[in-house]
Amino acid sequence: MRYAAIVIGGGPAGMAAACAADGTKKVLIIEREARLGGILKQCVHDGFGVIRFGEKLSGPEYADRFIDEVYSRKNIDVKTLTFVTEIEKRDGYFRVTTTSGKGIESYEGENLILACGCRERTARQVNIHGTRPAGLMTAGTAQNLVNLQGVNPAGKCVILGSGDIGLIMARRLTLEGSKVIGVYEAKSAPSGLSRNLQQCLYDFGIPLHLKKTVTLVHGRDRVEGVTVADADDGMRPIEGTEEYIPCDALIVSVGLIPENELAEKLGIITDPKTKGPIVDQYMMTTLDGVYSVGNALHVHDLVDYVSEVAETAGKDAGRRKERATIEVGSRGLGYIVPQKVDVLNQEEYTVYYFRAARETGKAKLTVTVNGAEIYSKKYASLRPPEAERVRIKHLLKAGDEHMFVLEEEDDRKA
Amino acid sequence: MADLKKIKKKLVKAGFPDIEVSGANGGVKLTGEVGKYEDVLVCGALAVAKDSRGVINDVKVKGYVPEKMRVSAVKDDKYDGKSPDVLVIGGGIVGTAIARELTKYALSVALVEKEYDIATGQSARNDGMIHAGIDLKPASNKVKYNCRGNAMYPKLSKELDVPIEMCGQCVLYTARWQKLLFPLIKMRGAKNGIPVEKLDKEGVKKLIPSPGIKYGGFMCPSAGILSPYLMTVAFAENAAKNGAEIYTDTAVTGIVNDGEKITAVKTNRGTFYPKVVVNAAGVYSDVIAEWAGDRHFTIHPRRGVEAVLDKKARKATSTVIGKFVIKSSTGKGHTKGGGVIVTIDGNLILGPSAKETQERENEATTAEEFDEVFSKQVKLAPELKRSDVITYFAGTRAATYEEEFVVEKSPVIKNLVQAAGIQSPGVTAAPAIAEDVAKWAAEIVSDGKIKMNENFDPIRKGIPIPREMEPEARKKLIEENPDYGVVVCRCEEVTKGEIVEALRRPAAVAAVDSVKRRVRAGMGRCQGGFCTPLVMKIISEECGIPLNEVRKKGAGSEIAPRRTKGGER
Amino acid sequence: MTERLETICIVCPNGCRLVAERKGDSIEVRGNKCPRGIAYAEAEMTAPKRSFTGTVASVFREMPVVPVRTAGEVPKDKIKEIAEHTRDIVLERAYATGEVAEENVCGTGVKLIVTADMRKVVGHTEGA
Repeated sequence: MRYAAIVIGGGPAGMAAACAADGTKKVLIIEREARLGGILKQCVHDGFGVIRFGEKLSGPEYADRFIDEVYSRKNIDVKTLTFVTEIEKRDGYFRVTTTSGKGIESYEGENLILACGCRERTARQVNIHGTRPAGLMTAGTAQNLVNLQGVNPAGKCVILGSGDIGLIMARRLTLEGSKVIGVYEAKSAPSGLSRNLQQCLYDFGIPLHLKKTVTLVHGRDRVEGVTVADADDGMRPIEGTEEYIPCDALIVSVGLIPENELAEKLGIITDPKTKGPIVDQYMMTTLDGVYSVGNALHVHDLVDYVSEVAETAGKDAGRRKERATIEVGSRGLGYIVPQKVDVLNQEEYTVYYFRAARETGKAKLTVTVNGAEIYSKKYASLRPPEAERVRIKHLLKAGDEHMFVLEEEDDRKA
Repeated sequence: MADLKKIKKKLVKAGFPDIEVSGANGGVKLTGEVGKYEDVLVCGALAVAKDSRGVINDVKVKGYVPEKMRVSAVKDDKYDGKSPDVLVIGGGIVGTAIARELTKYALSVALVEKEYDIATGQSARNDGMIHAGIDLKPASNKVKYNCRGNAMYPKLSKELDVPIEMCGQCVLYTARWQKLLFPLIKMRGAKNGIPVEKLDKEGVKKLIPSPGIKYGGFMCPSAGILSPYLMTVAFAENAAKNGAEIYTDTAVTGIVNDGEKITAVKTNRGTFYPKVVVNAAGVYSDVIAEWAGDRHFTIHPRRGVEAVLDKKARKATSTVIGKFVIKSSTGKGHTKGGGVIVTIDGNLILGPSAKETQERENEATTAEEFDEVFSKQVKLAPELKRSDVITYFAGTRAATYEEEFVVEKSPVIKNLVQAAGIQSPGVTAAPAIAEDVAKWAAEIVSDGKIKMNENFDPIRKGIPIPREMEPEARKKLIEENPDYGVVVCRCEEVTKGEIVEALRRPAAVAAVDSVKRRVRAGMGRCQGGFCTPLVMKIISEECGIPLNEVRKKGAGSEIAPRRTKGGER
Repeated sequence: MTERLETICIVCPNGCRLVAERKGDSIEVRGNKCPRGIAYAEAEMTAPKRSFTGTVASVFREMPVVPVRTAGEVPKDKIKEIAEHTRDIVLERAYATGEVAEENVCGTGVKLIVTADMRKVVGHTEGA
């Protein structure tokens, strides 16, 4: 039997893609963990689903709605505790080889949907030196331990990085009785959503130290302290500003990296800005029949949009044969997804996600085709940590020059 | 006996008139006080002399209080009264190789390691090269044991099921004229039986597709790579299988000797009464020698930092790349130059650096050392990026002032055999050193009437590695044990079966880092971010340890010590 | 009573920066993109409320802790008390998502609900 689509990864993206696929065709989800749900399983905080369901759900609740949907679908097969070891592109289909407790098995699929999520950047990948003792870990690992295993790594801790996971963990650890000495951020602005600053830090009186970074970890068996220092504009520590802070844990939340090892093995081209594959508006990568969704495509702020994007891919899987793409150009943006538009198969509206290249005051996004403005939107302010979504009505042709330009307005206040 | 007056003169001339020079144990002993550590090193170097067993450098830095030797928090009398024929001190690659070699004789063997596991010092903190030895000083212990050890590895690899790859080392010229020196290099190699092959620029490019190749170089085809910690583990497992006892968390805290022989060895877990003691104590080997009654050398620790790169970076080269460094005839200049080293597991290592330090056990890295290593070695393969680095580590070499291995039957203490001052190329030399040391120890125990262990089994089967198996074999393994189908470490594709087996082996240690060194769980690009909780759970279930008591390394390194619900916080 | 408050709205991910000022009997709110911001700022000025999310213990080895949240908002100053209280709750059967673990958590009149389907985990031998 050949599946219409094989989805690799049973987190929110993979589940949404599978559920959106044509219900008359067989779809397979391959999940390496014991349960579907991905990282949502350990995100016990709420705020998920506000856009999609109009409710503030916890991560497991949001996941449960999709898990129930997946298992109710007769066309979806699920393999858990199953790990993909190899993907081969054959003539018109893909052959996916897996390992599990049941043995080595291969599956054939006409389309592949890669939904492998992302991993966390580690302390050593952001130039933190010193020792490597117990108590030094990423925020995601700490979150798994606290929320799934019921054990707490921190008595008195420092958190490096003001990304959402860092902020969420500051609150979680505080509620579990740990002392969070402070959140340190090398950049001049926080990386997480503003509401998380309020409800995770300010509510609990946890200080946020901007332009400060951790340079050294001390302690051989267990963290005994960290050295923090002021950071310059390049996030490098400034000599002479070092301060020693005694603590028994350093939790780092310093960025997420899309997991694209499978995509790279297939020769799929990735965007150095998103670190995910280059895709068209259906999330199809540069390799025909292979889609990329969720945080493997680019790191999303909100799971609601993860689901939306994945559904677009799921619906599209196997629908198109011919395609012709044009590039999406941009200026002033950190990145934009999709990076290409398939002009042979356009719908009335196309959804784009972008991040500003830097923090702005009043700014205007102008979208042009061959130099002519087709869309514009004004923003009171933009922050790179908060992705923007725009839905644009256009009909593009092959050879069109399609541009997104973000400009800060001149009259912005100081 | 060395000319002490001449040494004193040299010291005075160098500006150290207050340093006293005397003879001890056939070596040259220095005492006194100086202002800074660099001066200690200068004095030590000046005291190196022919006809001397070595430098005993007791020159102190004014006001400096040396770090205390780390001793495990474990304190009991579990091993009190044990009286093995041979007690090996040190569970690095040298100590474990010796322990295994000793079990070939009809002897009772015990090994003590002060850390929570074997292979935590230099043996885990190096780049895993099997050196060809072309850069070593002729007629030294180093070159002798290196070349013998190098030749032993292919057989050892088969016996102990530890993979090696003789990938060769390509030494690059940094200037065109250097190719004129090739005949000399070839001659030097020939003296020690080390083959050397000329490579022109095109020849180099075939091996190293880097755009940075400017000139030719030469190839040492007998250089290779292995996992040094896995080899150490394998020596220990095979030694244990053949009857050796391996005691971790057991630190020697004192040795009783009567001036002629050792009578007792004190540890934090009781006193041992061995017939023969082998000193393989690495960075503390001079301290052990002192306690044992025959110190004639000094360890001046030399730190090295190395960077580990993602497997994706491995495409930069198929071989170890070194830079051609011209040394004086005495072999001075103590960094071996390092380079871009391919690892047996498919990563690249850049390094090492070399920095003299007073701290024997400081394994913290610094930004300065890392930057030095990266910027220096990246010149050999300029396409490598900072973002390819997944981790970095520091280790301390046990260097002596003679820059030479001390491998000897002590002429002072009858029942002491030393394998001390072993730094690079210690991994390569270890099996050969072990052969000699074990034989000497056996001779002492049996008073010359050596008896072999007829039941010695040289074979150790490695832990099965499903990711490296052919599909059919992998399938069969999973059928026998489904745990070998369940991937726990996604980056390195390590299965639950491998982790469980690592915990059941002889000399196993229930710690996350011990599992990591044995099966690589957590060694990939996410550095254990995803698998740490899973590995912790497996350790908890397999070893019956509550999850909050599962450790990363030794005592006091519980990863998540508090339960979130119920009881005390 | 607070006279002036600068805060960040937590109702949705927009994170509007709000300024609320008491003007006589009414409260004037600026910076909001939607009416929910006004309600949020007013509540922050008078009786701030938050949701609680966390975990409680269960008797099942496959799921040593289970996610919970309050079914609605509770007074902000009750959050720490609830966190402390949840340390002692132990679920002794497999709850479904949305099932009530406690009717009236810490006297707030708000339910504490389980937010994961334990039936999907308990009884399956492999944990997460």
